[in-house]
Amino acid sequence: MVYPPFSPFSLEYPPLITLSQLVLEVISEDRLLALRKRAELDSKYVLFLNHSELPLSLPRIASAFSELALAYYREEARRIKSRIEKRSSTSLDLIVRYCFKVAVYAEFRRDWGEALKFYEDAYHSLHEMIGTSTRLPAIQRLVEIKTIAELLHFKISTLLLHGGKLTEAVIWFHQHKSSYDKVVGSTEYIFLHWEWMSRQFLVFAELLEASSATVQSFSSLNQGTAQIPLTEFEFYPAYYYQLAAHYLQNKKSALELLVSMSVAAQEIDGSSESITPSVYVGQFSQLREKGEALTLHFITDEEYIRYAISEAKRFQDSFEIVAWLKKSYESFTNLKSRRMAAFCAFEIAREYFGLSDPSNAKFFFDITVNLYRQEGWVSLLWEVLGYLRECSRNLGAFKDFVELSLEMVALPVTSCDDFGNLRDKTYGPGGPATVSRRESIHREVFTLFCRETELISSTEESGFKFAIDSPLHLEIDLVSPLRPVLLASVAFHEQMIKPRSLCSITLSLLSHLPLPVEIDHLEVQFNQSTCNFVVRNSQKPLVASPSSTVQSGSQEENEPSLVLVPNNWLRLTYAIKPEKSGKLECLSVLAKLGTRFTISSRAESPAAMEDSPVWKHENYVQSLPTKDPILAVFGQKATQVEEPEPQVDVSLGASGPALVGENFTMPIVVTSKGHAVYSGELKINLVDVGGGGLFSPREAEPFSLESHHVEICGIDGAEGNDESESETGNIKKIQQSFGLVSVPNLKEGESWSCKLEIKWHRAKPVMLFVSLGYLPQGSEANAQKVHIHKSLQIEGKMPLVINNRFMLPYRRDHLLLNRIKPAPDSEDISSLPLNEKSVLVVSAKNCTEIALKLMCMSIELDDEQGKTSCLIQQGGGGGETSGSANLAPGEEFKSNTVSVLPKSEHVLSYKLVPLTCGQQQLPKITLTSVRYSAEFQPSTIASSVFVFPSAPQANSTAK
Amino acid sequence: MIVCVSVVGHQNNPLYIQSFTDADDALKLHHVVHCSSTSSKSESGTTLNEAFLGLLYPTLNYKVYGYLTNTKVKFILVTTDLDVRDTDVRNFFRKFHAAYVDAVSNPFHVPGKKITSRTFAQTVSNIVGSYGLN
Repeated sequence: MVYPPFSPFSLEYPPLITLSQLVLEVISEDRLLALRKRAELDSKYVLFLNHSELPLSLPRIASAFSELALAYYREEARRIKSRIEKRSSTSLDLIVRYCFKVAVYAEFRRDWGEALKFYEDAYHSLHEMIGTSTRLPAIQRLVEIKTIAELLHFKISTLLLHGGKLTEAVIWFHQHKSSYDKVVGSTEYIFLHWEWMSRQFLVFAELLEASSATVQSFSSLNQGTAQIPLTEFEFYPAYYYQLAAHYLQNKKSALELLVSMSVAAQEIDGSSESITPSVYVGQFSQLREKGEALTLHFITDEEYIRYAISEAKRFQDSFEIVAWLKKSYESFTNLKSRRMAAFCAFEIAREYFGLSDPSNAKFFFDITVNLYRQEGWVSLLWEVLGYLRECSRNLGAFKDFVELSLEMVALPVTSCDDFGNLRDKTYGPGGPATVSRRESIHREVFTLFCRETELISSTEESGFKFAIDSPLHLEIDLVSPLRPVLLASVAFHEQMIKPRSLCSITLSLLSHLPLPVEIDHLEVQFNQSTCNFVVRNSQKPLVASPSSTVQSGSQEENEPSLVLVPNNWLRLTYAIKPEKSGKLECLSVLAKLGTRFTISSRAESPAAMEDSPVWKHENYVQSLPTKDPILAVFGQKATQVEEPEPQVDVSLGASGPALVGENFTMPIVVTSKGHAVYSGELKINLVDVGGGGLFSPREAEPFSLESHHVEICGIDGAEGNDESESETGNIKKIQQSFGLVSVPNLKEGESWSCKLEIKWHRAKPVMLFVSLGYLPQGSEANAQKVHIHKSLQIEGKMPLVINNRFMLPYRRDHLLLNRIKPAPDSEDISSLPLNEKSVLVVSAKNCTEIALKLMCMSIELDDEQGKTSCLIQQGGGGGETSGSANLAPGEEFKSNTVSVLPKSEHVLSYKLVPLTCGQQQLPKITLTSVRYSAEFQPSTIASSVFVFPSAPQANSTAK
Repeated sequence: MIVCVSVVGHQNNPLYIQSFTDADDALKLHHVVHCSSTSSKSESGTTLNEAFLGLLYPTLNYKVYGYLTNTKVKFILVTTDLDVRDTDVRNFFRKFHAAYVDAVSNPFHVPGKKITSRTFAQTVSNIVGSYGLN
């Protein structure tokens, strides 16, 4: 088989001959060699294939083909290049053609450098053709040049981006745009230029988006050259999408203008049907019937324009614009370029607005308007609000319309020239940002909702037919953009007031509306609804309108006039009489304008009041909300109403310090001294006094949960008031450090008492808090509790300290036990001889300030071990043990008690005979006194004693 | 030709904005100035601890340059010139900064409020008029 690589056959590009093994079997090798020589074929172009090894042979064929193709393209390119160099043709269009060919061949050879060079050459040569070429009619000539330029630019950009040369690609695009920016052609048909420009940006945006060379970090890029400085935006596709949309907008408006002005444009459709793009890039021709044959003919510029207009009209540019801007918006949002994103959202919204799609337009305008509000760009805010206002009118949203209108008129637009000389004639629907325009919107909106009912039917021109009849209520909070419409500052003159006594309150209202506003009446609302009051305008007729906030019969004030003058505080001072104790706070001020319109503004403290974002940077004369400058700086909208004085006494009858281990009784007496007590509750808290300070019960609880050193054991109920207890439900909750007891109803002069039992486990001081809450006037719905608090610190003390000591028997006769003083080494005797008498001295020392009445003191042995471990005898007795009694009965007193004076000791001595060797535990010592009993069991080390065997009897045995 | 100059506060709020064009593009210039302060350069300043921020934002018809003061107040310059020399812009901003310092040093000026001084407006007009003459 013979594959001619290219046709026509040429020896310069030898054919590739592959011969199957079968051929070799038929034709001898010598003959083949002769044939090859005859055909002047190189041996490498003759391949022998074995069908059984075809997969192995295919790469050889491929490489041979590739080599041949490369050689061909190289040769072709060289041939064409020589023509370019010789400048054999002075025709620029031929040079462009040659350069393009060479570049394409270079691309085939993957010689990207050469491809780029020749595409660029073609591009530059093409640019020279502008104004020089006369080959086609003027318009079509430019269209052809631009179409080819677009193709070349696409090639160049693709090659640059594939090569990772992002900066170069961007710079190239920059140059491409600059080269053709002014090549508009006929200004009458400028839409062709805008369309072309838009396509350039779109194509580059898509190329950039698809490119693998993504922007890692702007600082890592070479930021352009000295001639062409670049910014980070130029590396993002979003930037190009946005501009593509911008040019398409230009094209759309230019086309609309052209179509509206041109009469001929109406009749273009019929004659432009047969025009089609030619086989040559950028050219158009007409298909005409000539007899039976169809032939292509050149067309005139007029014909082309008709065709171009009809083509352009077919496309819905707005959808394209919105789609590209949305891409741009999302991209900028992801890049956290909020302001660019907001601008794109604004453009999208404007496009939707143009398409009469108010709901979509509103969505995107809302995105934009929030940023402008936040940053206080008044001129831009005005424009967007103007659009939004129209959207709400088209959507029939009356409330939105009023809110947006009021926001617009309350903007700090002072005059045309003071703020950026807005002489822009291309305003949005809001009109120019001027004081007169503010005033006209103000009048429009106030006329709309303040006019009388009979005129409602004539409001159809405003676009609202039905909603206008219903009442309109606006809520203004601290973050509302409507805050400049009505600012309510409220200041109490006193920080603390007595109940049922008059207190002064200053109400200051400020409006940034451009014209004075007359208020029919004001309603001031408090957290205590009984304090709510109304301020009426005397000049307005009294209309008995239902009010949800102010009850009938509540306080009413009258003012000769209630007019809000622009940027001036309206200051009103009144006296109110709070009934209840606790916090009294002004919540809001409601202004009624006309019969159906109300604005409720959240009350603000002068001390915490800030200007709204749009007004805070304005350089205008500011006055204080109150005449009193101290109140204007520190005034608060809330005050504290004191509780009435309690007329009940709570007494804590403590007696002396508490002793560890005893049940300490604390009598609590509630005595009425003027007030009756209803629904009384006694709260008891025990708080650890640590580090000199006091813990609150809640804080102290976690510490005391593990081991309550002091706890409430119980509360003895009332004495003789059982009936009333059952009436009140008898609440009685006791925890370790907290107790709650209900107090029965008491009439004036009566008293009630209970006993609180507290037990100390450790010697600690505690603070006892007792608080009584009661109603002085029975169980009325609005009655408030009166509280009385009492506290007492109680010391917990160790009553006595028990000690033990061992003494050797030989010293017993010389010692006066009462005077034994504890020696530092007293515990050294920790070992006793077996079966010999030792003296055990037990002493109980009174540590309190009062005499301790001791009833008995005894020593006991464990049943199991005690009988075998040691023998105990009463001290001072005879030397012999009393039978088998190995347990000392201890000491009892039936004068019953013995008094141990403070700081003195009571000592008992025992004779102890250890019976067992080794480590032994000391028996338990028990002590009983009048107020409590105690057991002595010292620590294991202190109470253990080592018993060693008695001296060995070796000598006697030996004898 | 300089078409707009602006002083933008550190909360990106406009403190002064003045356009020098008779064309109907004042609102467009407001948009341009607003968008230009979105670039990372204008938000963080340059790494070289330099007040001049360079080209901030290229639009189709304008070039926007920025300058950041130590108090994080930005100056924005919008020009229609295609070939802009850095030195010209730097000189402009230096003079503008001096005029701004004079304006805010006025004891009646409240820091953070818009600049409404007529003297400042006149000085700015003079600086804009003399731009690129040297």
